Amino acid sequence: MGLEPFETIVDAHHGEIYRYLLRMTARPSDADDLAQETFLRAYRAYRTLTPDANVRAWLFAIATNLARNHFRAERRRRAAHAGLHRAARAVDGAAPDGEALADEARARLDALVAALPLRQRAAFVLRKVHDLDYDTIGRSLGCSAETARAHVFQAVRKLRRGLAGLERPSQEPAP
Amino acid sequence: MTRLPTTCVEIQERLLAVALDEPGATRGGVTDPVLEAHLQCCPRCRDEHARLRALETAVGAWRRLEPPAADLAGARARLDARLADLSRRTFTYHVVPSPLGNILIARSEHGVSLVEYLGRRRDPARSRLGRLAVEARPDGAELEALGRELLEYLAGRRTRLDWPLDLRLVRSAFHRAVLDATARIPYGAVISYAGLACEVGKPTGVRAVAQALRWNPLPIVVPCHRVIGSGGSLTGYAGNRTDLKERLLTTEGVRVVRVREDLRVLRQAMYVRTPSARFYCLPTCRWLARFPHPERLVLFGAREGAEAAGLRPCTECRPDLRPLPA
Repeated sequence: MGLEPFETIVDAHHGEIYRYLLRMTARPSDADDLAQETFLRAYRAYRTLTPDANVRAWLFAIATNLARNHFRAERRRRAAHAGLHRAARAVDGAAPDGEALADEARARLDALVAALPLRQRAAFVLRKVHDLDYDTIGRSLGCSAETARAHVFQAVRKLRRGLAGLERPSQEPAP
Repeated sequence: MTRLPTTCVEIQERLLAVALDEPGATRGGVTDPVLEAHLQCCPRCRDEHARLRALETAVGAWRRLEPPAADLAGARARLDARLADLSRRTFTYHVVPSPLGNILIARSEHGVSLVEYLGRRRDPARSRLGRLAVEARPDGAELEALGRELLEYLAGRRTRLDWPLDLRLVRSAFHRAVLDATARIPYGAVISYAGLACEVGKPTGVRAVAQALRWNPLPIVVPCHRVIGSGGSLTGYAGNRTDLKERLLTTEGVRVVRVREDLRVLRQAMYVRTPSARFYCLPTCRWLARFPHPERLVLFGAREGAEAAGLRPCTECRPDLRPLPA
């Protein structure tokens, strides 16, 4: 069995690659540019793939590499952070009372994730948002499944520390 | 920094492991009775558990955060436009080693666009493909089948190359008309440049016809080797490679002889058809003497070729009863 037509690949994966890059870059215009570049590169190399290749992991790998190159320009990275903090403040001010805690947590998570080293950020987003298994994350990041899990482990440790104070009151111990 | 009791370290590792190995943020409470019992009595682990749950809640909210549909649709539309543009400019190619040297076959998504003699070279960088403003990438798998068909053709085991064609590299409508007329020349037949000029309605445009064939992007497939000088000389082909033209014509059953430095087809040893006739004749047929434009005759190297083109033998000269000597 040969490779599927490339249009099928775009239909199946463009949405999630865009969402992934949006979470990685925090800017719709950057996510748009990088998602386009991801699929243009994939198009050029698609015919060299073996029919049993993990296309999803391959696309995430291209997207992650592009995001890494994107953030090598430190000025852009700082600008992205500034945008995130502004967004976080806007959410703080606008949220209705009932959802204030979740919204604040989400906004704070945005900022905390953006501050993670790139590989930890990528591994965390791939695991927690896109539900990839560690083997696939490893393929996407160019490392082993164990290393991928270690990246998520480090990310979770840092994030839970960063979210301190937002936890719901814990259950009282039984008398 | 205070050290946690061993059991707390273990418990917190287990909590973290659960957080790591559950992809979603759906875990509401603890179901492990050992963990549950420990959390009931240990405020520090209870806090850790609460922090992880807070993280999961935040991740859950984060997962549900969707980009505006208009942003996503816009991004997809821009991607589709760029992919369409790229696919128009992308050619795949394959180099086939053949008895005529290496031959490059390049195709777009619409069809074969270029066939080029590379001689001993295999690298297309200095070829016509390399000079085009396109993205070219090697692709063995898809074009190998076409390469095999080409080799069968060159070995005389196939008389047609019914490939999908992309004629984008043809330079003008006139060139296109010349190539269309050339594609109609039957296998095993030749026609003169002057005859072809008449075919495309430009009887005085013989040089223009020769130029159109010179720029034929699809030699062999569009058989410009079947076009020769009015006197029977092979004239030019792929630069000065009339030897390639000779081999192609010989494979098709057309006899070519060397007269001093010149390669010529033996007009007097070929079956003949006038442009509109549905029959073929011997070159000595009296009927032909009445035809005023000898340069427009179509010449066949063998009766089989003429009959494969749907022609009957002439009832006057009877080439079927008195065939030319082989």
